[in-house]
Amino acid sequence: MDYAADLSFLFTNPTKVVYGVGSSADVGLELGALGGKKALVVTDAFLSKTEIVGKIVASLGTTCVGIFSEVPPDSGVHAVNAGAELGRSLGADSIVSIGGGSVIDTAKGIAILLTEGGSLLDYQGFQLLTRRQTLHICIPTTAGTGSEVTYFAVIKDHDKKRKLIFGDHHIIPDVAILDPSLTVGLPAVLTAATGLDAFSHGLEALTSAQREPMSDALGLHAIRIIRRNLPIAVKNGADLKARGQMLIAATLAGAAFSNAQVGLLHAIAHTVGARHAVHHGTANAIAMPHVVRFNNDVVADRHRLVAEAMGVDVRGMSDEAAGLRAADAMSQFVAEVGLPRSFREAGVPQSDLAACAEAAMSDGAIVYNAKPVMSPREVLGVLTAAWSG
Amino acid sequence: MGIPFFSEEWISAYKTAINGNPAYKTAAADWTYGVVALICKALPPALPTDVGIWLDLDRGVCHEAKLVTVAEAAKAPFCITGEHARWKQVLKKELEPIKGMMQGKLKLKGDLPTIVRAVAAAQELVNSAATLDTKFLDE
Repeated sequence: MDYAADLSFLFTNPTKVVYGVGSSADVGLELGALGGKKALVVTDAFLSKTEIVGKIVASLGTTCVGIFSEVPPDSGVHAVNAGAELGRSLGADSIVSIGGGSVIDTAKGIAILLTEGGSLLDYQGFQLLTRRQTLHICIPTTAGTGSEVTYFAVIKDHDKKRKLIFGDHHIIPDVAILDPSLTVGLPAVLTAATGLDAFSHGLEALTSAQREPMSDALGLHAIRIIRRNLPIAVKNGADLKARGQMLIAATLAGAAFSNAQVGLLHAIAHTVGARHAVHHGTANAIAMPHVVRFNNDVVADRHRLVAEAMGVDVRGMSDEAAGLRAADAMSQFVAEVGLPRSFREAGVPQSDLAACAEAAMSDGAIVYNAKPVMSPREVLGVLTAAWSG
Repeated sequence: MGIPFFSEEWISAYKTAINGNPAYKTAAADWTYGVVALICKALPPALPTDVGIWLDLDRGVCHEAKLVTVAEAAKAPFCITGEHARWKQVLKKELEPIKGMMQGKLKLKGDLPTIVRAVAAAQELVNSAATLDTKFLDE
């Protein structure tokens, strides 16, 4: 696979990654190495009552000045503002986030407000910040969003029923601690949904209009790992090896899409998620094969790579045929891990598809789709296919 | 000899170019979201301080284009900031503005989804500027 002679790209991945079973016990050492002295722990109400958070807080010792545990499952602007208020009152100089993507993204928002002041809505824009934000160590308890290494924070504006996307290189976390033992308690359905979220990051990084070689390598390797290990982790959540592979894959895919970006698939998932509370990973899983079919006439060669990474035998096939086989294989994969295969099954009313298509046209991800999307009718076509399954 | 970039003469010519571009009128027919300000970072000695261009855009028409201070520009609902070298890349069509925002080459203050929706209009603003005989400040 050669790249064009006039290829031009940016790639940045500044996060220090610490991996290993039990590695979360090193959080105090990592914070000390960064120079943090007063850490605000950010987590959710459920995790705050578990020994996961208890052990990490113990590792932090006196450097933990407080715990903000009011991050809801679909975090919003209000949670960021409340967390920042607590952090300010405690004089926090650093953040340790423990949880899934919602928690980590909330912590990114808090990191902005602790450095810059004000309210989160003051920072609507893109790449607006001009300096490093508050020190941030994140410890994911799910394997999917890749938020531990991305420059995005997706935070819901509940008043307007839409997801705000904050993107800035200054909010990429300083350290990501990947401890497989923290993910063993994740229920099978969430394991599947978050795992397919990571898969979708690898896929869209590979096909994005801003695709580049570094992200290709990360995305393809993530897809290989996920195809092999996600069914194992879903079937046996206590399998530490499979859990670890999934954490690694999610981080690889996160670094891939943080650089290459995502496309129509995520524009759809953001919109359907915001309007109908469909889990982001589930929404990606449902729409994925249909977006691949939509894009196949433009990036069939890329879809062939995905098919190969999934272990599909596409020898002797044209790229177009191999791309369609990739879409079929994704559909089977989604079913294999027990997720719904249609938006109808996920509870999305058919009557709202047109509004979803309209809203998806305003999602930043759509700019990077492999095939330019010029009309909501094109999105509606994909949504309708995904609704039927 | 071109018109110096970010000069009052250039901005006046830019307004004329925008309003003379039928593709912009079509692409921006739905734009009712107000002023877009473009800020160019200082490039001494040619441009000693940061300056802004105030573009009052509505439904495919540029009603006003003027040179403003950064403080004035910051009052616009959409404010896009970049180094002179980045704006030069935009005008030479080497940098697509919305992708430039995503990559951090340009900074956007304002509602990203609204800007994303206006990608075709943004491209026509660039096309309008590209018709001008521009003398860049580093030339």
